[in-house]
Amino acid sequence: MRGFVASQDAKVLFRDIRAEAGITYAHHSAPEKKFISESMSGGMALLDYDNDGRLDVYFLDALTVENAHDPRAARSVLYRNLGGNRFEDVTDAAGVAHPGWGMGVCTADVDGDGWEDIYVTNLGPNALYHNNGNGTFTDIATRSGVTAGGWSAGCGFADYDRDGDLDLFVSRYVKLDLEHLPEFGKGGAGMVKGGTGRGADCQYRGVAVQCGPRGLPGQGDLLFRNDGQGRFEEAGQRAGVSDPHQYFGLGVAWFDADEDGWLDLFVANDAGPNFLYMNQRDGTFKESAFPAGVAVSEDGAEQGCMGVAVGDYENAGRFSLFVTNFAEEYNAFYRNVGPYFTDWSFRTKTAPSSLPFVGWGNGFLDYDNDGWLDIIVGNGHVYPQLDQAKLGASAPYRQRRLLYHNRGDGTFDEVAQQYGPALNEPRVSRGLTLGDLDNDGRTDVVIADLDGYPLVLHNELADVGNWLLVKLRGKPKNTSAVGAVVTLRAGALTMKRLVRSGTSYISQDDKRLHFGLGTATKADWLEVLWPDQTKTRRENVKANEVLEIRQE
Amino acid sequence: MRRRLVVAIVAGLAAPALAGQAPASGQARPAAPARPGGQPRAAAPAKLELQPGLKRAKEELTQGQIVEAAQLYRQLADQHQSVQALLGLARIQSGVGDARGALSVLERARQLAPNSEEVLGAQARVALAARSPVIATRALEALARMVPSVMENQYLLGVALMQAGDMPSGAMALEEARKLEPNRALTLVALGFAYNGQKLYAEARPHLLRALEIDGTDVEALAALAESEDGLGEPEAAELHAKRALARDPNHAIANLVMGLVRMKQQRYEEAREALERAVKTDPTSAKAQYQLSLACARLGDEAGQKEHLDLYTKAQKENAERLRDLQGAAGTGRGGM
Repeated sequence: MRGFVASQDAKVLFRDIRAEAGITYAHHSAPEKKFISESMSGGMALLDYDNDGRLDVYFLDALTVENAHDPRAARSVLYRNLGGNRFEDVTDAAGVAHPGWGMGVCTADVDGDGWEDIYVTNLGPNALYHNNGNGTFTDIATRSGVTAGGWSAGCGFADYDRDGDLDLFVSRYVKLDLEHLPEFGKGGAGMVKGGTGRGADCQYRGVAVQCGPRGLPGQGDLLFRNDGQGRFEEAGQRAGVSDPHQYFGLGVAWFDADEDGWLDLFVANDAGPNFLYMNQRDGTFKESAFPAGVAVSEDGAEQGCMGVAVGDYENAGRFSLFVTNFAEEYNAFYRNVGPYFTDWSFRTKTAPSSLPFVGWGNGFLDYDNDGWLDIIVGNGHVYPQLDQAKLGASAPYRQRRLLYHNRGDGTFDEVAQQYGPALNEPRVSRGLTLGDLDNDGRTDVVIADLDGYPLVLHNELADVGNWLLVKLRGKPKNTSAVGAVVTLRAGALTMKRLVRSGTSYISQDDKRLHFGLGTATKADWLEVLWPDQTKTRRENVKANEVLEIRQE
Repeated sequence: MRRRLVVAIVAGLAAPALAGQAPASGQARPAAPARPGGQPRAAAPAKLELQPGLKRAKEELTQGQIVEAAQLYRQLADQHQSVQALLGLARIQSGVGDARGALSVLERARQLAPNSEEVLGAQARVALAARSPVIATRALEALARMVPSVMENQYLLGVALMQAGDMPSGAMALEEARKLEPNRALTLVALGFAYNGQKLYAEARPHLLRALEIDGTDVEALAALAESEDGLGEPEAAELHAKRALARDPNHAIANLVMGLVRMKQQRYEEAREALERAVKTDPTSAKAQYQLSLACARLGDEAGQKEHLDLYTKAQKENAERLRDLQGAAGTGRGGM
């Protein structure tokens, strides 16, 4: 039996519980989106900041050009999970309300004290909220040397040099001078030499729209190496990941692409080729996206890449990439055929349904616990003016979500339309995160929207398979176990999951690893490959529990 | 060589020095020597009557006196602002391969007669042949607006838009052409290409199947169908139709590209490289084929080949982007660039 979805008539999969959960946060942005900076925000995080075993939620709010000089005009919100799908706003006590013009977020226990810290990317200086372990945070970005500056977007912690502590990569997007912004629909100031800002850059199907990113200057990326003493030094150029061409960086994914035990780095670039930095094991990287086959689409087109998902969707032991893209460009499914990737977007049958949408947050999840990774995508256009234009093959400004059910044969069915308004009400989505909010073994989804309330999608699917939720506790200074890989065998399936910091579109998923076990009532065995390459093995693990494994 | 000389002379007729010096025969004659300042010697042309002049130019042309005919047309155009003379001159220029000159002359004709179907049609055809789709599109859009019921205009507009890389608009124009004449194989095949170009393979396939019902040996339809099938995740069917196309035309660019794509996914990289090499030999401007060939080289450990084809891909990609940008700039249909 495939799917564990009772039947095609099953109507309830996700239900939006935002209001009843007490989540009143709404994202703010300028209604007309006259400037590109007003279209790109919406990162969010799921994390257990108080170590109570329940996932808390942090939403980032954004400023606008009009109120850019007043950081207090935007209020980001941290919700503490009280259990029973109830949340409490603890923002003010925590001290995380005003990080700036918020864009993205990633989390990890940066200093190895056992408490999850929060890094916020901004248009402007970034914030590193150190978790004080008592419900409060302190911004230590300046003293840690990770403020970055410019327009940061994606971020992710990882121990790329295997020295035991977590380093930080930050992708940056466009170089924007808020005092000299390109004129809506026309361009002019702020545009690069040779990019006139007229025509293609500030017009969409004959309608005036915000300018960019094409025609605007980009910004290089940053790699902050942790010195183990609470300070970071910027090492991007030395390591070969500084993006000297200044592409428009967004989504970030650390993962071991070639399974050599060293973390590699994928960066999704908007309107340009992506990067795949292969770790050379000496503190440097070799950019290999083109020969590896993940730089552009199958036909060589540079795509507008936003979010990145990493998953072993075939249960083949290799991590493939799923990258969301602009409308009329399909979402790219790069199948890892080791040591290369092949664009498998049409073979998986995920591409055609994605063509009308602008995709952002995304992730692999096993929503029905059948042991096969499914996919979810949040969508929404960047131009509110779009609805005045000839749409062609594009969906309008507000768009539905996409949900792909893994058939277990290498292909997917797009099934969102079976599941009612939670997946189909048109919205303008950005960050999307995955995690089990109520620890019931069914993966929930939280999606941040521009200009409005988020979606808090509680998974209520009946007749799901068994499950296991694995929480890893690494050695200091990487107690979050970022970069650890768990391989699990249950019945005929061998599954593999990875602990990531920085996921989806500039957001952060639950770091606990979810395994759907199907009809299996236990995992025959599971093995943790810790970031330092040591291993921990467990056998005959009972299903349907949260299993914590500490590195010895 | 002779053709090149004739082109040079016909093009050189723009210089007033040659006016009034009609050659006695069709033999190409060297252009007048230039003055030190670079300007040829000027001579006042004799005034010609328009209708007799046009008649004489036509007669010269009938007798194969190309240079003389061109000279007469030029003179008549200058003296009478005659659209007919400009059309005649453009025809000659186009006939000897001077598309650029022809387009320049036709643009002048269009300024004189902006709503002339004859001028717009000529401009579109010459521009399409010269692979100047932006100019062709402008002319054809005007024509399609003026006479929307003429299938040929919609068809050519679709082709021009596709040539410029604007597949969605191309498909829309071709759908209009199909409504006017539903069973025209050329239109159906072009529609197939337009949908394939947008990755709308499921939309492309029925048109291509219909085209093959009309003509089962149509190589273009077979190749495009193979491309659709590869996109639909049906490698066996794609291979079958690509092979059928290649049996008729072993160097067909798209059929070879599809074979390359199929072999790449099968990880049969040597065969993929061979097919893709044939594809780029036929169409070196195909960014997709150059990119895939660079990947095949990478898989085979051929770093030099990988780099070479990556460079060619980058060049082709840049040219394609510039062409599309020109079109979007002209039409105001650009995308903000996400």
